[in-house]
Amino acid sequence: MQDNKIATPILNFKTIAPYLHIGENRSSRFFSYAGLAIGVLLLLASIQMYININHLLKEKNPRKNGYDFISVTKTITNQNMGKDNRFSGDDIKELRSQPFIKDAAPLISNQFRAKASAGEMIPFSTDLFLESVKNDFIDTVPPNFSWEPGQMELPVIFSADFLEMYNIFAPAQGLPQLSESSVGSVNIILECYGPSGVQKYKGHIVALSDRINSVLVPENFLQWANKQFGNSDNSPASRIYLKTIDANDPALLNFLQQKDYHVNKDKTKFGRIKQVLQAVVSGLGGFAILVILLAMMLFSFYLQLMIARSKDNLQLLLTLGYSPSWLSKTVAKKWIPAYTIIILVALLLTAILQYAFQQYVLSGSDELSPFLHFGVVCLAAFLLLVCVVVNYTLIRKLLYKL
Amino acid sequence: MHIQLENVTPEFLEKEKIEISDTWNNHIIIEQGERIQIIAPSGSGKTSFIHFLYAIRRDYSGNIFINKKNLRSFTAEDISKLRSAKASVIFQDLKLFPDHSVFENINIKRLLDPFHIEARITEMALRLGIKNKLHKLAKTCSYGEQQRVAIIRALQQPFDVLLMDEPFSNLDEANRVKAMDLINEEVEKRNATVILADLKKIELFTADRIINL
Repeated sequence: MQDNKIATPILNFKTIAPYLHIGENRSSRFFSYAGLAIGVLLLLASIQMYININHLLKEKNPRKNGYDFISVTKTITNQNMGKDNRFSGDDIKELRSQPFIKDAAPLISNQFRAKASAGEMIPFSTDLFLESVKNDFIDTVPPNFSWEPGQMELPVIFSADFLEMYNIFAPAQGLPQLSESSVGSVNIILECYGPSGVQKYKGHIVALSDRINSVLVPENFLQWANKQFGNSDNSPASRIYLKTIDANDPALLNFLQQKDYHVNKDKTKFGRIKQVLQAVVSGLGGFAILVILLAMMLFSFYLQLMIARSKDNLQLLLTLGYSPSWLSKTVAKKWIPAYTIIILVALLLTAILQYAFQQYVLSGSDELSPFLHFGVVCLAAFLLLVCVVVNYTLIRKLLYKL
Repeated sequence: MHIQLENVTPEFLEKEKIEISDTWNNHIIIEQGERIQIIAPSGSGKTSFIHFLYAIRRDYSGNIFINKKNLRSFTAEDISKLRSAKASVIFQDLKLFPDHSVFENINIKRLLDPFHIEARITEMALRLGIKNKLHKLAKTCSYGEQQRVAIIRALQQPFDVLLMDEPFSNLDEANRVKAMDLINEEVEKRNATVILADLKKIELFTADRIINL
């Protein structure tokens, strides 16, 4: 009869450890640990940096509802100077058909002479250009930016850059400087010259635009006025506004370059920097994957050597009735703590690097979180899983071969 | 345990030896609790017979059924279960871990599926006269001592069949008696089948059936 007081023994790695030559070949084991740590750190840091670059350089453009808006013109060169460099209907269709362009709208300009003066308060008058674009493309559209036929008051959206320029030369001309809040109270007399004489409108600056460098009037006014004073339907536009998810999208920039379209450099210069940085970071990520693969290969050599040296003992354990599945799991589990520590250390170092980058390079700017992106943490967990699964599969394969 | 051999023939054995054998290429049924002695001259496949039953080798034609299940259909895990809880063996070549102590050699088997408490190892070693060797490396023991280690190791687990391949070949008469007594006690506790293979009849072993290989 079976002895009564048998405490069921817990079979674990300690039971079989004396029968395995795990302590041998330490150098290759530690080199593979170090390699894995460096590889994982490089990979996590480069992925985090990739996310940072995308985040930082996306925020450089004035956005509306998650979209970037940029204006493009055809590049004027010595060769095409004097030709019609405006956008045809086909050009606009082609732009709209690109996957990275959500919408394109022409900027309609005045086909008649327009002149503005600011009355007695600001003794200043100038010929000027008027433009209009779909309201959807304007960053600041107040509710009163509309015009009905017969209405003599005309709302105007003025470029914030123009106001800045005016304030620079105004003192030298003896003109008063204007603040952003006071500019709305300036009465502008807008004179439109047509074949049947001059028509005056009372203009009011209802908003300033950071995005569009122009003097904008409601679209229906300009369409009407071009017919009325310019005696023409709306002609092709010289400027097109593009609505896109990311103004720095390399595909968009390559397309514009290929079409020889000129784009506001301020809006896209980050695109080129972004492309270069992304290439560098991607290269670093690729190198990191290579380092991880080499480290895992080195560790697999260590495992093969360990199992080869313990072959007789392992064979005897199997002969005695130890299950190959249990042996594989138990031997593989032995290295889970080592892998976990290595990957956690790499994750911690990446977190420190991210914090230092945000605190010291960006001076704690709100633009970037000082914490790791969730995706990077997920990647670390995924790498741990890959290491464990690869390790287990290899050990199982080697043990079943015995 | 019900063991059935159907036309089992080692692939490597000469035709003449197979023709004169009572076992090879025959139908043999061994019932639970039977005590069988296999008598086999050298080179007739005695060790192979034990290895076939213990699923170490498969280089035979025909089929072996363990509890009506063909041994060929056993997975690696099924074989582990067979070896840890159903069948125990004393190998002719002993198969000990030479660089581990006698105690470790016995206990590594006990830990797998313990039939006895650890203290029984010392009791058994005392009975077979190797208590003072428990903490010596197996490779430093004489062959007779190692044989006793292998016997004690085989008795640490539950089993339905005990396979023995020349288990007393290096033991003197006194130690043979002690070993046989211990084996009989343990077999009785488990109501197990015993298959003892040797070159000649072992008088100490009371067999229900003798089969010539």
